[in-house]
Amino acid sequence: MSGFDTFWQVIKTFLGLSLFSLGGGNTLLQEYHHLSVDTYHWITNNQFADLYALAEAAPGPSSMIVGLLGLGAGWPHGVWWALATGVAAELAVLLPSTLLMVAAALSWSKFKDAPLRVALERGLGPITLGILFSVGLTVLRTADHHWPAYIVSFIVCAFMLFSRISPLYFMAVAGLLGGLGIIQR
Amino acid sequence: MLAPPPNRRALFVGMLQVALSAFGGGLSAWSQRIVVEQRRWMSNEAFLTGLTVARLFPGPNQINMAVYIGALFRGLAGVIASIAGMLIVPFCLLMLLGLFYFKSHSLPAVDHVLTGVVAAAAGMALSMGFKILHEYWKDPLAILLALLTFLALQVAHFQLIPVVLVGGSVAVALYWPRAKGSTLDKS
Repeated sequence: MSGFDTFWQVIKTFLGLSLFSLGGGNTLLQEYHHLSVDTYHWITNNQFADLYALAEAAPGPSSMIVGLLGLGAGWPHGVWWALATGVAAELAVLLPSTLLMVAAALSWSKFKDAPLRVALERGLGPITLGILFSVGLTVLRTADHHWPAYIVSFIVCAFMLFSRISPLYFMAVAGLLGGLGIIQR
Repeated sequence: MLAPPPNRRALFVGMLQVALSAFGGGLSAWSQRIVVEQRRWMSNEAFLTGLTVARLFPGPNQINMAVYIGALFRGLAGVIASIAGMLIVPFCLLMLLGLFYFKSHSLPAVDHVLTGVVAAAAGMALSMGFKILHEYWKDPLAILLALLTFLALQVAHFQLIPVVLVGGSVAVALYWPRAKGSTLDKS
């Protein structure tokens, strides 16, 4: 495939997914993994896990992982294709949902008391919950292959739930454990 | 009490401040702190309404919130200013980080450190479901729907889009608000 073919494949993929995110975009992670690793072979399983961690650690919305996936898809065709594909991926995934959100923001006062609004708000929550557990399991299986890694993941998960410590500290400590060879792929 | 409505430049700078404050997560809290408390663009109530809309519609919550605020004050131009403020600087940083990653991830030292970071990030992903579980804990129907969704994805290996379409429709139908008592009482 040429750089241009990949570029288009990435744009079409993310344009099509944009409107199917629920509860803030993280529900799409599993689909990102499936498409970029299994379906299109843009990146490997380990690279997906790495890019997820980079997007979580960097400042800004973690949904920018889409830009990194595009960057990975374009990488075999050179740095410029990589950058162009990364930017295009992010724009593609944001465009449909943003247009819908503009319409929603401008017409919200009329829509506010509609039964559909109430049903969407209460009904989509449980579906989001189910997807997020599935996403968690998929990322866990993608990232961890040995028991020390699983232990670190479970400890971080517990701290995320029961403390307000910034996850950057956990990433730094875990990175050190990885550097020392205690956590391995 | 409230400050005058922000212009495009103020929207850009405000959203940039939100994006850069939230190093390592917690964007919602930062955006509330900056938009409501520091810059006083909107009341807390208006902010929470916006957050509800942002969560209800597809797309990342924080981007949607930026869209909502931009649209509210300056229409489409405000939307572009807000999104640009929230994304351009962090996105450029992330692309640089990504280029560095693809150049160097085959080096053993980089790979070893990343292996650890990845395990921590996986813990963060795992916590997402648990974080909102308490909201649904007392609603058996919600738990059942969540369980079925989970099984459809993880055991039956259905794709996300059909699961969202079918599961979403069923859930919306089940949670459609019913008038209490008579169907005529709100004529």
